[in-house]
Amino acid sequence: MPTLELRDVGKSYGGLPAVDGVSIGADDGEILAIVGPNGAGKSTLLKLIVGLEPATKGTIVFDGEDLTNYPPHRIRQRGIALVQQTPRAFPSMNVLENVALAALFGRANAHRDEEKALARAGEALEFVGLADRRFDHVGNLNLHQQRFLALARAVAGDPRVLLLDEVMAGLNDAELATSISIVRAIRDLRHITVIWVEHVMKAVMSLAERVVVLNFGKVLTQGLPQDVMRDPAVVEAYLGETSQSA
Amino acid sequence: MIYGLGGALNLAYGQMAVMSAMVVLFAMDAGVPALPAVGLGLLTGALLGLVLDLTIFRPVYRRQGEARVLLSLLLTLGLAFVVDGFLTWRIPFRGLTLNIGGGPIDILGVPMRRGSLLASAITILAFALLFAFFRTTALGRAVRSVIEDEQGARLVGVDPRRMLRLILIMSGFLAAIVAVTRAMVTPVTVTLGFEITVFALIVTVVGGLGSFPGALLAGVILGIVNSIAASYIGTFLSLIILLAAAGITILLRPSGLLGVRE
Repeated sequence: MPTLELRDVGKSYGGLPAVDGVSIGADDGEILAIVGPNGAGKSTLLKLIVGLEPATKGTIVFDGEDLTNYPPHRIRQRGIALVQQTPRAFPSMNVLENVALAALFGRANAHRDEEKALARAGEALEFVGLADRRFDHVGNLNLHQQRFLALARAVAGDPRVLLLDEVMAGLNDAELATSISIVRAIRDLRHITVIWVEHVMKAVMSLAERVVVLNFGKVLTQGLPQDVMRDPAVVEAYLGETSQSA
Repeated sequence: MIYGLGGALNLAYGQMAVMSAMVVLFAMDAGVPALPAVGLGLLTGALLGLVLDLTIFRPVYRRQGEARVLLSLLLTLGLAFVVDGFLTWRIPFRGLTLNIGGGPIDILGVPMRRGSLLASAITILAFALLFAFFRTTALGRAVRSVIEDEQGARLVGVDPRRMLRLILIMSGFLAAIVAVTRAMVTPVTVTLGFEITVFALIVTVVGGLGSFPGALLAGVILGIVNSIAASYIGTFLSLIILLAAAGITILLRPSGLLGVRE
């Protein structure tokens, strides 16, 4: 049984479907990539999972519990964290305070123990390589570091599932390699299931264990990365253009 | 405090202060000693904040952006008129005065009334406690996270509704402190609500929305401007001068004295 399962999930804006009857599942400890052209509904799908947008149909089941349309903070506390493409740190707090807030509030039945939260936050910063920046103002971090901060905020709450929304866009080769190794470590060392929306196909091919292709809000196909990449319909419709640009 | 939080406006803030003052007044009329009566007034302010959160702010916080601002503005303004009208109708000539006994105290050669000094000390203490709460406690940081980025706060597990409720309760408590400290200097009458609201709104906008040091700085500066204008020009013109000073500040610094530029 999948850890996270979407059953016929849909979202419409003014009658136009952005996500149209998507049924997919992610197994425990899997790295699942979701790809597709712009406007395919990938980011909307992640927003539906974490409750930032209400689903207009279908159910989202996590560990056997129906989480459909739960508020985002409760979904986070159940163990599903999202890292968005544009990092959103709290500007008046330093790096450590940003992560400690997530460590304190982003857990189920949190005991609100600030000492432990600070320790977990420090460990999360160590994990993403920002330990030496812990007392820095978040405004002093570059985009790459801000994404690592967002990752630290996500893992500090010990989630079971981590959703990543195009977190590797705009990175150079060295930054991309670091990001890939950190995401792999998140799964391998922390045993977190990763569902990952991405346009950078080089990263997808080196990291994903399974790929789901979305188009016009529907699942076009899914399978092993190399199989999906060889699918003529996928190559022609989506990946051909993206592969060249990546 | 509610002005900078969650994009909502509470234009019934002054009426919350006046209602708290009236509770103190009636408690003292009933023979309750001053200190417990003040305690009752502070409790009333906090409860009023909770009642607002459970009633008219429920639909407000279900909306986002401009709709939230406008709805909060309309609902609280309506409430302010209702409360003002009711108090003026039922107890038109009542006012709370808290006489602090003893003669003036010399501060650097200037005789100061004990009431003014006590009111200033309470205000500074309240601000220090508030500042410490927001800066040093996890709950305070959670409230700040909602102020800075409500969606981001949700994504790290903070429940914005709880934080907004807490801030309304604190806001009511502070409104009661405003009433009590003001009553140490000058009577708090039933018609004072809008004056308190307008002054609080000016201080907040001039200081910078959501900036506590900014609110303190603006409060001190505008308080001095208000006092000088009232003493040397006339009380009837002090509000106009205050508004002019606030207008000039906003023209020069649209985000307020210590507000963050968007």
